[in-house]
Amino acid sequence: MHAFACIECHCRGCGVDMGERINSLFSIKINFAESHTFFPTIVTCVLFLLLLVIVLVHGIPFIRKLRQGGGKISIWAENFDKLRFWGTMLFTIFYFLSMDYVGALFPNMGFGFLIMSMPFMLALSLLYVHNFNRKKIVVIALNSIIAPSIAWYVLGNLFNISLP
Amino acid sequence: MEFLSLLSPLFFLLVGVGVVIGIIFGAIPGMTATLAVAVCLPLTYGLDLTQGLALLLGLYVGGISGGLVPAILLNIPGTPSSITTTFDGYPMTLKGEGEKALRTGIISSLFGGLFSAVILFLFAPVLADWAIKFSYIEKFLIIFFALTVIASLSKSILLGIFSGVLGVWLSLIGTYDISVGGNGDTRLMLAFMEPYLENGFSLLPVLIGLFGLATILDEAEKGIQEDSSANRIDLSAQSRFSLKVFKGQIINLFRSASIGTFVGMLPGIGGSAASVLSYTQAKNFSRNPSRFGTGEPEGLIASEGSNNGLTGGALIPLLSLGIPGDSTTAVLVGAFTLQGIQVGPLFISENAATWNAMMVALLVGNLAMFAIMFFAIKYIVKVITVPKYLLYPIIVMMCVVGAYTINYGIMFDVWTLLIFGVFGWFAQKIGIEVAPLIIGFILGKSAEVYFVKSLESFGTLTIFFTKSPIAVFLWVLILASVFFSIYVAYKSARKAQ
Repeated sequence: MHAFACIECHCRGCGVDMGERINSLFSIKINFAESHTFFPTIVTCVLFLLLLVIVLVHGIPFIRKLRQGGGKISIWAENFDKLRFWGTMLFTIFYFLSMDYVGALFPNMGFGFLIMSMPFMLALSLLYVHNFNRKKIVVIALNSIIAPSIAWYVLGNLFNISLP
Repeated sequence: MEFLSLLSPLFFLLVGVGVVIGIIFGAIPGMTATLAVAVCLPLTYGLDLTQGLALLLGLYVGGISGGLVPAILLNIPGTPSSITTTFDGYPMTLKGEGEKALRTGIISSLFGGLFSAVILFLFAPVLADWAIKFSYIEKFLIIFFALTVIASLSKSILLGIFSGVLGVWLSLIGTYDISVGGNGDTRLMLAFMEPYLENGFSLLPVLIGLFGLATILDEAEKGIQEDSSANRIDLSAQSRFSLKVFKGQIINLFRSASIGTFVGMLPGIGGSAASVLSYTQAKNFSRNPSRFGTGEPEGLIASEGSNNGLTGGALIPLLSLGIPGDSTTAVLVGAFTLQGIQVGPLFISENAATWNAMMVALLVGNLAMFAIMFFAIKYIVKVITVPKYLLYPIIVMMCVVGAYTINYGIMFDVWTLLIFGVFGWFAQKIGIEVAPLIIGFILGKSAEVYFVKSLESFGTLTIFFTKSPIAVFLWVLILASVFFSIYVAYKSARKAQ
């Protein structure tokens, strides 16, 4: 690690006594030009060391169990709802992209937020609802219009908060 | 008495509004006080510090308290800290004592909250006065101690330490800031990331992502299930509540509130640990331990007294040392940062009026929580029936506002929200614990400055052991927490065999 350098002499038999030699073991001089990497290097090493221990303690027994057919690798919940999960991801990414794009067309107005939040909320609510009926759809549609409008008015206009 | 000028009608209104919104969040299973504070943080952008804190403390108290409603009525803990409330609360509902259980829980919550507020008021200034004398070395050791405590009380010690160190590592991404004596160079990133990550990840988008978006993704993965049993709750024909239920429970109340407050003071330990510990102790000391789990009010009192005791307790290390006591107070750090205030040993002495106003907010918040929940319990119960398909899109929208506005309109912060939302959802799957990660993230940069500057000044590692008696004392605490964690791991391994 280039940031470390012993400040004591490195040679043997130069007359430095035992106590000083032990002290020199703990001595550290930090080069200011490299000081930004000093602590991150230590933390990164500790992180990798911990990762190694985790692999040894948890990983190896798990792989052994896997080989014996007793375990499985799956990060998904047992009743994983693909449609709702990936739908949420997709809508959210599209929401962020479109909000930025529309916001750039009307700078400092918060219209990117207002205009794109409405279809996003409508789509997400329709994605999440179980057992459709007319009443639910009307409530969802009203919620999708009213909630972003209130947020835009209160936060953007009353509180002067920057919105996309 | 300068703080009295801060106590405007708006201040009290904000505490009340915070409590109501907090109760709603707490009462909806899957949503927590932390989420409530994170989502409502943008609302404080237009308020001053005192008003913002009034709202957030109201949310905190309401969010922790609201969890008892579904725990008692549906056997679903509204917040992790209400897990043990289900043990006796739900059996009471099955016996037709739902209203009695709710009101018993509410009074216990009030007691726990007020008790911890008193401890906070008495203890935090003393601890802060002591901590003012700390040099960088003692400050670094305090952070080191906090991380060892988090690790020792995590579900898995190894993963707890890993999560905390990962949080520290994430906080170091960006520039080594010149304002704290750094050299202004960037680290832990590739060249193309520099325009975005020059100042590292902003705290608030990280918090909102980990607690807000991650919750939504987790629920989406499970299919956003609506609980139809919530519609069948009827409290009209149930046995009435009487204060007689608290006869002989004074010691239980004090013990539970004390446990909650103490656990709250330990960094990164959630309310669930407080309520489990308190419930277990109540059972151990009870004359009728066999009745626990069958609808015994004693167990309910222990659970609710302790989880509200957490509120004041978790604020003690935050306001005296700058170390958040739990994930919700970690989000509160964001509110202070937003107003340009650094929490730490000097906070109370330099912001006496704000400190006193916070105490008033905590007091009023607890009283408002009691008044709202005790007298409007029948309406609060209806909150559980708010459809998630309406609520969750609003939460995502508020998360976006919170992330975007923190740096006055930077779109990368919104992407940070998504990155950490996905990361938070995935982290739970592989055992990474969010609370230690967040506390590591918040304390990481300070730890670096204290560590590097100490070495630059003294040039030797031995200074961390020999600087002062306080440093030696902190090492004793660090070693004690390490040995405690090894002992607990050994004990649980033997139990498993």
